[in-house]
Amino acid sequence: MATLQKTIADKFLAKLAESKAVDVQSIAQLRSLLADGKKPKADELVKIFSVPAGGQIK
Amino acid sequence: MIKLESVHIEEVRGIRKLDLDLRKEKFAISGPNGSGKSGVIDAIEFGLTGHIGRLTGRGTKGLSVSEHGPHVDKTKFPDAAFVELKIFLTEIGKSVTITRKIKSPNKPKIDPADNDVLAVLAEIADHPEITLSRREILRFILVEPTKRSDEIQTILKLDEIGETRSALNTAQNKLQTAQKIATAQVQSSQNALQLHLQISTLHPEDVLEAVNQRRKTLGLTEIAELKPDTKLDTGLSTVGKTPDFNKQSAVSDLKALSEAAKGFQALAKAESAAIVDALKKLECDPALLAALQRRSFVEKGLDLVDGPECPLCDKPWTDEQHLRDHLKAKLAKSEEARKLQQALLNNGTALAQEATRVVGLLRLVQKIAEGQGESEFTILLTGWIANMEALKVKLLTVDGLTGLKDRLINGWMEMPKALPKHLEHLTEKIDAIPAQTATLNAQTFLTTAQIRLGDYREARRKNKVAEIAWASAKAAYEVYCSVLENELNTLYDEVQEDFSKFYRAINEDDESKFTAKLTPSEGKLDLEVNFYERGLFPPGAYHSEGHQDGMGVCLYLALMKRLFGNRFTLALLDDVVMSVDAGHRYQFCKLLKTHFPNTQFIITTHDRLWAEQMKSAGLVTAKTSIAFHGWTIDTGPLVESNVEIWDEITAALAKGKVEVAAAALRHHLEYVSRFLADQLGATPQFRADGNYELGELLPSVLARMKSLYGKAADAAQSWGNNDEKESVAKRKASLSTAAGAKNVEEWAVNKAVHYNEWANFGRKDFEPVVAAFKELLGCFRCETCESWLHVTPRGSPESLRCACNAINLNLKSKAK
Repeated sequence: MATLQKTIADKFLAKLAESKAVDVQSIAQLRSLLADGKKPKADELVKIFSVPAGGQIK
Repeated sequence: MIKLESVHIEEVRGIRKLDLDLRKEKFAISGPNGSGKSGVIDAIEFGLTGHIGRLTGRGTKGLSVSEHGPHVDKTKFPDAAFVELKIFLTEIGKSVTITRKIKSPNKPKIDPADNDVLAVLAEIADHPEITLSRREILRFILVEPTKRSDEIQTILKLDEIGETRSALNTAQNKLQTAQKIATAQVQSSQNALQLHLQISTLHPEDVLEAVNQRRKTLGLTEIAELKPDTKLDTGLSTVGKTPDFNKQSAVSDLKALSEAAKGFQALAKAESAAIVDALKKLECDPALLAALQRRSFVEKGLDLVDGPECPLCDKPWTDEQHLRDHLKAKLAKSEEARKLQQALLNNGTALAQEATRVVGLLRLVQKIAEGQGESEFTILLTGWIANMEALKVKLLTVDGLTGLKDRLINGWMEMPKALPKHLEHLTEKIDAIPAQTATLNAQTFLTTAQIRLGDYREARRKNKVAEIAWASAKAAYEVYCSVLENELNTLYDEVQEDFSKFYRAINEDDESKFTAKLTPSEGKLDLEVNFYERGLFPPGAYHSEGHQDGMGVCLYLALMKRLFGNRFTLALLDDVVMSVDAGHRYQFCKLLKTHFPNTQFIITTHDRLWAEQMKSAGLVTAKTSIAFHGWTIDTGPLVESNVEIWDEITAALAKGKVEVAAAALRHHLEYVSRFLADQLGATPQFRADGNYELGELLPSVLARMKSLYGKAADAAQSWGNNDEKESVAKRKASLSTAAGAKNVEEWAVNKAVHYNEWANFGRKDFEPVVAAFKELLGCFRCETCESWLHVTPRGSPESLRCACNAINLNLKSKAK
């Protein structure tokens, strides 16, 4: 049986991808961060959401 | 998950040495208060998880497994205290032995230590809620909604989900602050560009008009369209460096700073005053200050937790979760501090934005001063810029803000007093510079414009990055909250449905239409229950304590079902339905049997009647139950209703402890008489309080057995079954002989003799008494399976039998 945490994480990532509010690369990083019940830290999330210099914006 | 096959406990809590054969079945442990029942639960919990719930949590300060886990006489020899569990892993079909010593709770010996085995055991260790004691069940029912939410979130591991939500929220807040600063940077660089171009708005046509005017002067082609990669100074000679000092621009920059400086004193005054007020409030309320400082400190610690060792004080914890729970509990206590913290940070960010804009102006003038060789002014501005940059960092944290009170009162800008003088001097110096030629003016105008446009573009790029980062984090946070809310609503719907169903099953006689409503809202979880269809009320409003006990267990079962589904195979229920009355306990047995057929419940109770009900309801059997009749510090729990009671009595007599042997015998007789009265359907004179004396029960049981043997003999006679008739006659004769012993009659009936005289007896006097009762009770047991005889069916018995059917005497005579 999937744990509630995993169910929520899976639905969260699927809905996020559907909304296109977050880029694919960031979602992949989030998936890795939330895998296996890991507990993400705020600073790790800040890094993921911050587009690196030279990334999307020219 | 798992079921328990057997338990071996040595020197743990109040137990010296105890073996239980649990057979993967539901199991009951009964005995009076202080007889060691909970010690067994503690030991099993310890064997499975390395923890003992009763030694942790609220009200257990100063208690620890290492110091208080061993038997009190073995505290200096924790190596002697251990639990050995033989468990069965239901999903992978393996039997595993875990041996865990109090000395090293985190290093159990596991055999076989296969990876799949270790994974299951790790999961079990992560679920201390398999143990439920009475003091814990009411935490679901009679608590305020915020605490209920916490408790239920903990049991469902929702706190981990809460941590993810909290981390997402913190991330979006940090990125929002970063975005605000980036916006301020854009405004600052935009101001610089407009200042230079001398335009009031930054429209492309205004920019191009100002630029093309200079380009025309230089004979350069006009720029028709301002694109992202447009260079305003394109076409200027690249041979030799074109000076970037533009007098007109310098005059504007100096003027801008001079004008701005007039308002520095009043800049962000309201926000600054609000921070000062908050800091003063903290000074007047040391507890609030401590909470705030602790909050900030604990937040950092929580963020750094990466194992069972506290990152703040290096204290080792039993596991990471306990440490996290401890830190989160500290944070939860300071809601007022949290609000104050948020207000401080909001105002701090506003000041940081202003500081960014001011620094933008200062950098322009710093460059002019440097270019003009004004070293003193350059040093002053460089220092002030560094000061403001350091201030910006402090303004964004609570720790930083708490040290800024005096600065905020005296003028947070800390404008150097010499600034006006230096500004005036530099302005005069620039004014004194001869006007630049039209060509040079145009050249420097374009190079400076390009530099400032580059700065503006870079600031905008960074701002866009910050905007996207914040928008992404915000969207992620909102999506997570939305998914979480939906899942929790579904979860609570399922839990409330199961909870209601289980409660109705226990109370079908009078609350067959019972319903409950769990309503989550902003960290709270309201529970309301239907009271006889008069409406929904808090559980403690009208329901009795017994009903509330029942609710607690039902909610627990509903939560465990939701948490584990079909994997809910083990629960340790420590005295959890003590306030539920006898009638409803039968229903409770039925609930456990029908709704949880695959769950091994280990149930303790101090109530003998409840222990017997569990047997008669078929929840447990004689082989899957045990009764303690007492406890001593030397022996641990004294087990009754098994063959070992005679060994215990013999051992006590061997040590000359007649009073110990006498007490054990008396307790055993009380237990067995009551049990046999129930099993055989004896009819002592009814007592409303159910408090039957041994002197009332034993004669009644003897009479009933004699009567049953009479019926069995008559039935055998009527059916012409001579073998059975002979067998019954022998049993009846043995019973009469044993019951006729003088000592038996006297001691069973006369309580005074028992208590006053036994203690004065010597060993030789008492041994015949023991032998007589052993022989008498042997008449009520099967020689093969050693189970007690019982009649069936209970209401109108048709046979007298044992558990293995070696004894199965027909009681129904042939119809005449």
